[in-house]
Amino acid sequence: MKILEANNGALTNFEVLDFLRAKGASKDPTRVLAKVAQSEYKVYDYLIDTAARDQTRESINEFLESVESHDLAKAEILNIINIRPTNIVEIFPIIECCDTRFSDEELTEIVEIVKRTLPPPPEDANGAEPTKSNGEEGGEQMETS
Amino acid sequence: MFYLSKIEHTLPLPAPQLSRPIREAIHTELEKLFLDKVIANLGLCVSVYDIKSIEGGFIYPGDGAPTYTVVFNLIMFRPFVGEIMTAKLLSSDADGLRLSLGFFDDIYVPLQHLPSPNEFKAESKNSTKGTWYWKYEEQSYPVDDSDMIKFRIQNVTYPSIPVEQPKESKPFAPMLVTGSIDHDGLGPVSWWPGQEEDAEEEEEETAAEE
Repeated sequence: MKILEANNGALTNFEVLDFLRAKGASKDPTRVLAKVAQSEYKVYDYLIDTAARDQTRESINEFLESVESHDLAKAEILNIINIRPTNIVEIFPIIECCDTRFSDEELTEIVEIVKRTLPPPPEDANGAEPTKSNGEEGGEQMETS
Repeated sequence: MFYLSKIEHTLPLPAPQLSRPIREAIHTELEKLFLDKVIANLGLCVSVYDIKSIEGGFIYPGDGAPTYTVVFNLIMFRPFVGEIMTAKLLSSDADGLRLSLGFFDDIYVPLQHLPSPNEFKAESKNSTKGTWYWKYEEQSYPVDDSDMIKFRIQNVTYPSIPVEQPKESKPFAPMLVTGSIDHDGLGPVSWWPGQEEDAEEEEEETAAEE
């Protein structure tokens, strides 16, 4: 076995999910008929519970175009697409040297771009976390799902 | 998290597969060989993405199977240092936490990467298992399995296969991921309210961390 290129391109969670869906993976009972292996299904089950579930190529392209003006590294953009942070606290661990590179307003702007272009992550089946007050955001998610 | 890796491999196609169209047969053979296996420094193979080229087909003397040289792309799960992911808590003991992604279970958050100050309460007198608590502003926040835990990748290692293993030790893990939850926004998702309306709670937590 020869490794020709160890890194032939990074994939977002959405692209992997899309690939598995194209193979025939799904949540309902017809999954046993698809040519998808057990281990691939485990990956599918993991990804379907993340923000990648409702993303589309268009929304990701839109996000990439809008965030170009900010100075973000490729790895950080990938992380943001995969996690879809909803507020500044969630963005802190993603961006390196956050306080020195970006001011609070720029971070709020980036969070706004995320919220505007990428669809919200699916709500937990067990209900939202107890500390959250499910005012507006809960309402929005109910409508889209 | 996921990367494409281009691999070239020479493999024999067993005779029973020869009645199928060649792409399909090679695809199945590659899946049997690589799926759910760890390749050192490349990661865990999740799927065969596509086949770029198939060459050869020579039959060596004494062999019933034609040998093909195939160039193909594999989707590898290879987290990079600094990546943020969410996982479920698998077990927690005095050495730290163990997290699971469903398809990958060897993620450990050792003692030094837990937020401090912290406290460990063992389940019962003799067991090593228990729950970790984060003591912050007079409150004890437990790390339990009620929701997903967000963590940051600290390190990914590929230990070499041991020649001999003592009987009681854990099954060998070809890929070990070390994580950290010692940062703003990390840890169980419920620790960090998502609403900007809960700004007060958020500010308190971030202010103390800084």
